[in-house]
Amino acid sequence: MSIASSKTNSLAQYLEQLQGTTLRRLYQQPSAAFAIFRRMLPHLAKTIVMACLYMPTPFLLSDLEIWVRPTAKREKDQAISILKSLHIVAISIPAKDAPQTLSLTPNFRTSLRLALEGGGRHNSFGVPSTQPVPAEIDAAFLDRYAHKKWDDILHFVVNSVGLGGSSTISSSSASGPKQSVKDLLVGGRLVERRNVGSGINITQAGFTFLLQETNAQVWTLLLLWLEAADHAANGGDKTGSAAAVDSVDMLSFFFLLASLELGRAYSTDALTERRQNMLPNLVDFGLIYIPPSNPHQFFPTRLATTLTSSETALRSVSAGFSAATTGLPSSSSPSSSSGEAADGSGSGGVSGGPGGAGVLGDAQDRNSIILETNFRMYAYVQSPLQIAVLALFSELKFRFRGLVSGHLTRASIRRAIDMGITSDQIVSYLATHAHEQMRRQAAAARKPLLPPVVVDQIRLWQLDSERMAATPGWLFRNYDSQQEYLDMANFADDIGVVVWRNDRRRMFFAHRIDQIKDYMKVRGKAREQQQQQK
Amino acid sequence: MSEKRSKGNVVAVRGSQSNTKIGVLVECDPSIKSIIINLDSENNAYIIEDLDETHLLIKENHLGELKARLDDRLKETVPVVENDSDSDRDVK
Repeated sequence: MSIASSKTNSLAQYLEQLQGTTLRRLYQQPSAAFAIFRRMLPHLAKTIVMACLYMPTPFLLSDLEIWVRPTAKREKDQAISILKSLHIVAISIPAKDAPQTLSLTPNFRTSLRLALEGGGRHNSFGVPSTQPVPAEIDAAFLDRYAHKKWDDILHFVVNSVGLGGSSTISSSSASGPKQSVKDLLVGGRLVERRNVGSGINITQAGFTFLLQETNAQVWTLLLLWLEAADHAANGGDKTGSAAAVDSVDMLSFFFLLASLELGRAYSTDALTERRQNMLPNLVDFGLIYIPPSNPHQFFPTRLATTLTSSETALRSVSAGFSAATTGLPSSSSPSSSSGEAADGSGSGGVSGGPGGAGVLGDAQDRNSIILETNFRMYAYVQSPLQIAVLALFSELKFRFRGLVSGHLTRASIRRAIDMGITSDQIVSYLATHAHEQMRRQAAAARKPLLPPVVVDQIRLWQLDSERMAATPGWLFRNYDSQQEYLDMANFADDIGVVVWRNDRRRMFFAHRIDQIKDYMKVRGKAREQQQQQK
Repeated sequence: MSEKRSKGNVVAVRGSQSNTKIGVLVECDPSIKSIIINLDSENNAYIIEDLDETHLLIKENHLGELKARLDDRLKETVPVVENDSDSDRDVK
């Protein structure tokens, strides 16, 4: 199962394992180059790219050294390393007569310039539909629609936990996601069928998925879909390759979607046939809406337009979701907050007006948990989704209308950790959902929000069951000279891949090897040249 | 390629490649490490390299098995405390 074995859960991991040629093709589309620039790069890397963007000649590496403070060498090296792995910059091979230079790869440079200047006829930022827009479709409508679709998917995953109260949950979301989406979740091992006839069970990956912010969840699903499509294309008949999915094309289509504007209609006719074929899947995920009356139009929802927003912090289910659906200013991408669409969504998020109506339940659930020093927890929650999430790591004892109460126990936390939730995830979930009363008291007494005794205990319980931390990777050893060892180890340390090192024994352990290999090659060549000259 | 290189270089380049070991770095307490070493002493199924007091290099394909056996060993030796958090019980 290639789908399950490759653990490409995040966009960054997925992009990094792509080939250089693939990335270069991706960068042909300005919206893709722009999206990668905006979402994937750390601040310093962005600065370097912007500096090189309009430079007529390659940038001398020695000049870059001068720009960056000596204390920030590590950050600089990591930025360059990311830029190199994404094939955004190329660095010339060191030679005796010419100093090393850094330059943007041509496709990326052209595309990013086009994206910033708005020139060209690439249609890479979508073609607005000229047909009349149905009156009932506005930002609020799309938010409600996206919310419903996405909640169905989350419910499906949470339901598979099989903890108490699941019967009430399933009745409240009778419709559920499409079979294709269910298959995708099973294929991606977020849930699995352990025994025939016993229904489905959630996996570790599924839990991590549940506690991710919505943005990351959407990407997880999209990448799962890409991998599944790739898999089908490679395994299937080669003759039908014209109809098969081109993952690069699809990826750039996702980036295109991310650059669209919420509440605007776009024309499906301007899309290639492959992309048109992809649309039903996006409808199933709730990323776009196609009005039944007019299949030539599609509306991106907030799930799609925030795909490349820079919000990357780990947030909890409902906080992440309400942010994505109510349009908190922080999470709405620049493209969706510009123009007329911003008016409707902005007011909806702030005042709870028409835009917030569909997500009122989540907004209430957000500040709902009271955690006492005796490990008791009271949560004023209504949504079955929230209750199910709480049940993942606590022992719920009572359920009233609008209130559940329970205990955090060693057993409940261990159960959660065995299923793949980390103590940090639990603590951050409790903190983001802490009740207003807790916040007030903590602020008044100048104490931490959550009782430290409980937080510490949760962490200790995790340590209890995780006696060892394992990191797959490569051990480098048997160096002949200290200088050679230090050269390699320091290089690896600077690009941030060293997990452990012991200078006395001349060994280090790295969790990534590609760039170290490249470095070894370059160094080997340089030495060779030196030897020849002698 | 390699013929052109001087002797020293061949050793350096080839050496560093063949001496790259794939595996899993395991970080743990010395007490846990001693249990792992004990488990490994039967037929050297797990450990590739003993790195330092708290680090070991473990064969990747045997990691799951090792974890399971370590858990079993710990269950024998570490008592499980029931409901240690529940200081004030509900009245039954």
